[in-house]
Amino acid sequence: MSDPTVAEPWVAAPLRRLMEDARLISGVLLYPSGRAVGQFGFTNAADVMSICALTSAINASARELGRQLDGKPFYEMHHAGAERQVFMARASAGAQEFLFVGVFDRESSLGVVEMYFTEFQKALEKLRPDAAAPAPAIKLGGDFEGELNRSLDALFGPIGKR
Amino acid sequence: MKDVSEVVGALSRVPGVIVAMIVGANDGLIVESSQVPGAQTNVDTRKHTAALAAYLYSKVTRASNAARLGIPAFMRLEAEKGHICVVGAGEVVLVTIVTPDANLGRVRLDMMTAAKEAA
Repeated sequence: MSDPTVAEPWVAAPLRRLMEDARLISGVLLYPSGRAVGQFGFTNAADVMSICALTSAINASARELGRQLDGKPFYEMHHAGAERQVFMARASAGAQEFLFVGVFDRESSLGVVEMYFTEFQKALEKLRPDAAAPAPAIKLGGDFEGELNRSLDALFGPIGKR
Repeated sequence: MKDVSEVVGALSRVPGVIVAMIVGANDGLIVESSQVPGAQTNVDTRKHTAALAAYLYSKVTRASNAARLGIPAFMRLEAEKGHICVVGAGEVVLVTIVTPDANLGRVRLDMMTAAKEAA
């Protein structure tokens, strides 16, 4: 199991602990805008880019669906595949919101992942730097691709050196 | 097959049982739970115990199979302040949190009977 690579060092320890305790195969922590904050289990920047874009879109859709059906956004989602399962949830540290998406198999379970994700959330809240500048919100028509590429550069190194 | 509420209700009335739960064997999520009045367990405690007990039971099952012993009939974890007992029942597992001075023979027997009714 490889160590997480992170764009913000303070998330490294909680992310590693979540990975190890919940026995996750892979995972990405990102801002709702799609900017990656940390990842583990991936070696290809393109995979992380796809996951960030999809997770961001899924979150936006699910949030709106939750509002319409339940009057409030859904908190987490789970998809059970034949071999692997996907867990997706929101976490927050102060006013800053994060999204997390993780993949696990029969070596773990949804209950175990949920439990350790709760601890992960508490760790984020505890460790967040007080002076951390909030992540810039993505504006409609903003530089989504540029944001994504900058975060991937931080995780995997600039293009050409990956 | 008994209703799950009846199964956990009956288990929680066994002397020494503080919490009785039916938990998904694969996902570790609580299907039904019941606790004796005054028990100092909150929702998070029950959720965490359920998830870890189901996880542990799945690992014990693998160990038992590896040793060619078949499916484990009963699992008991003895701790400083009590016991966690687990019995498999197909797609679910029965989990109880038990006081240290409980009659474990009775708990075991009642859990095995309940497992047959829940399966």
